Amino acid sequence: MNARHVLLTVAKELREALRDRRTLAIMILLPLVVYPLLSVLAAQVATGREKQREDRPSTVAIAGAGPARDALATHILAKPTLFVLLPGGTSADVEQGRLDALVEVDPQDASKVGLVYDASRDESRTAEERLDAMVGKSLPEGCAPRFTSHSRSLAPKARVGGYLLSKALPLFVVLMVLLGAFYPAIDVTAGERERGTLETVLCSPIRRFDLMLGKVLAVATLAALTGVLNLASMAITLMQILRLTADNFVVDIPWGHALLSSLVIFPAALLFAAAFVALGATARTFKEAQTLLLPVYFLTVAPAMAGSIGEYQLGGIVAWIPGMNITLLARDLLVGRATWAGTLAALASTLLLSTVALFGAARVYDSERLVSPTPRRKRPEGGTTRTTNAGDAMVLFALAFLLLYFVFLPIEQRHLASGLLIAEWAGLFGLVWLFSRMSGQTFRSVLVFSRPRPQAVLGAVLCGCSAWAAVAIFSEWAMPVPKNMVDELRKALIPLDGSRSFLTTLFLVGATPAICEESLFRGPILRGLHARLGTTAAICTTAVLFGLFHMDVYRLIPATLLGILLGFITLESGSILPAMVAHFCNNSMLVTLASLRLDQRMETLGQGAIALIVITSIVLSATGFILIRGSRRRPQPSPEV
Amino acid sequence: MPGPLAVLDGVSKSFGDVVAVVELSLSIPGGEIYGLLGPNGAGKTTALRMLAGLLATGRGTARILGHDATTASAKKRLGYLSGSTGLFGRLTPREVLDYFGQIHGLSRPEIARRVAVLAPDLALETILDRRCEVLSTGERQRVSIARAVLHDPAVLILDEPTSGLDVLASRFMRDFVRAERDRGKAVVFSTHYLAEAELLCDRIGFLHLGRLIAEGSPAEIRTQTDKPTLEEAFLALAETAGAAP
Repeated sequence: MNARHVLLTVAKELREALRDRRTLAIMILLPLVVYPLLSVLAAQVATGREKQREDRPSTVAIAGAGPARDALATHILAKPTLFVLLPGGTSADVEQGRLDALVEVDPQDASKVGLVYDASRDESRTAEERLDAMVGKSLPEGCAPRFTSHSRSLAPKARVGGYLLSKALPLFVVLMVLLGAFYPAIDVTAGERERGTLETVLCSPIRRFDLMLGKVLAVATLAALTGVLNLASMAITLMQILRLTADNFVVDIPWGHALLSSLVIFPAALLFAAAFVALGATARTFKEAQTLLLPVYFLTVAPAMAGSIGEYQLGGIVAWIPGMNITLLARDLLVGRATWAGTLAALASTLLLSTVALFGAARVYDSERLVSPTPRRKRPEGGTTRTTNAGDAMVLFALAFLLLYFVFLPIEQRHLASGLLIAEWAGLFGLVWLFSRMSGQTFRSVLVFSRPRPQAVLGAVLCGCSAWAAVAIFSEWAMPVPKNMVDELRKALIPLDGSRSFLTTLFLVGATPAICEESLFRGPILRGLHARLGTTAAICTTAVLFGLFHMDVYRLIPATLLGILLGFITLESGSILPAMVAHFCNNSMLVTLASLRLDQRMETLGQGAIALIVITSIVLSATGFILIRGSRRRPQPSPEV
Repeated sequence: MPGPLAVLDGVSKSFGDVVAVVELSLSIPGGEIYGLLGPNGAGKTTALRMLAGLLATGRGTARILGHDATTASAKKRLGYLSGSTGLFGRLTPREVLDYFGQIHGLSRPEIARRVAVLAPDLALETILDRRCEVLSTGERQRVSIARAVLHDPAVLILDEPTSGLDVLASRFMRDFVRAERDRGKAVVFSTHYLAEAELLCDRIGFLHLGRLIAEGSPAEIRTQTDKPTLEEAFLALAETAGAAP
């Protein structure tokens, strides 16, 4: 082996990769977008579950005897919506989940009460909070006996934090390292073949093993870098969450263990890089390599997920399963129960598998398949006019998301109305305008802003005024929104206390999103994806991005469904205006219903009435859609020459 | 007389059931341009790839200055260029030359000296620090030439190097090949443009269905077949070879 040749190749490949927009997007943009998005969605799910938990009575018991016990029992039994009192129990019952919490009366001092709970269980934490509130505060002044309480969790805080992290972090690490290795591996192998640069390298005096080793190390470096950047982004997001929820959080993050566990990034990166380079080297084209590598990607993700969810022990055959062994090792390091035997088994098996993959790749690099002629990718000829492409679409989405999350959301939290206006007009509309200037296109062409036919506008009005009902009812059925969250949202956006006029609300919640959100999503994002994916896939992808952009797990389904409808309206009508009209009508209907409190009355409707509303909604929307389809301008036959 | 610098000795090569080259022997001394001619699929590229060490020979031997063509010793003395040879698009020509120079064992100062010598000859001064992906076809080919001769190899293998080039760039390439021949190098050149070969080559070998069906100077081949042009000569030779049992 010529170490100088290997290092030269590593440097060359890294330089090339770091100048590739796709690699940079995966390494940097993805973690910046994904984690905040996931954290927001996860927080909302957690909040929803919290609300559900509040409705469930806690199962408790009292240890001890005497008048103090009887007094406590009386108070607990007086609140049947909060507690179910069992006749007896022990700490072991709490640990094993049979009891949510145990009240211990101090045998020496009957006024002292201990609350035993398990901080690693949500139900147990709720029970402790309820008991503490009841014991410490609910007894009236002068009442005897008075109690003082102290709580005792059976789970150490760091263990709780480590346990919670271990459910997500190892899997994320594996996923991100896999993703970080994926495109660079294809680029340095099949990409190199497709570009015709492989021959150039192979006829120089570099050993093929050295060349391959250089490529594997370059890909491993990029994959590890992706993993490290992702972890850093996760850590920052986590610290942000901890800061925001400092009062309610009962866990410590075991940062030392987390750091130790992140070291698995490096063997994982080497293994995935070697495996992907070996496979990528057998492909003739970039597409073929993607087809080859994708199943391997998912095959590795599946055991990694199993390792993350299931309670597997790191040892035996499990230590040899790529992805799973790394996930389990990261988990064990995180919760502080890693053993030398397990660690060595996972590392040894990973390194051995890496070596096997490395030699597999070397064999492929000696194969004549590599230098047999391949079809070359052709660039489209002529037509230098710049149009929006899929890459632009994704970059615009990422930028809009980042702006919203890091800049506009904090403003909205301070002042909703002005924050919303700035976010929509500056963050979305302004972004599209800026894109049109920077890409040398006109704003109208980026938006596909053309005058629609009257029946398209009429169809859009019909769709916008009717589709909301079917969408709302389906979404409520699929993922019911906790009632207090609906109330809070309604109060914030559509205040009924006279603090904002109806017209102002209509402009803020109806017109502004209709213009600004459509400008971005049904403008360059839909058009860019349409150029690459085709009609249906582009509409659905745009709709999902639109749903995600709302950063609200309960609005994901309705926003996505609405996005699908708006996407079809845009492409069928050939203009963005009907989509803006439909979006405006949809939002205006919701504002009107809320203003008249009709939405609250809908909650009391019976099955028959709901079915009637859904059918009417679908029929009207379908009619609107047919009108829009019929409005399409047919291509005129060109004059004969 | 010095011995041949590049030799194919009775080489054959098949890809599965497809026979690409059969019992081919070539011997090219320094100071000669050898043209390997034939239609598409005649086996030219396979023959040149065996000579460049990119493909192992099925039978026979390929040698560069006496070294097995697949070894690093042979590749150090070889410059290879083809019409489809790519450059690393995201690197600049200077970075490409730096990488290959170091792979060939040149030091950084040596590379800088060679680049300084080659840049004016190949009109690279203004493009050395632009990314290869933004260069024109002609500019890329000039960078590829610089890459192939950076280490001053004794043997140059050029596989259809004028493919896709315009008239001026093709002319530039021909002048460059002649200059290298005049510096004593052995140049093996493949093309299916017979007029180009007639202008450039000292000796020609006609390949047809993987077999060498004629060899000699352009004048000798025309005389041998009694035809006024190489094109007609080749058609006559191919017809004879195709009719043979």
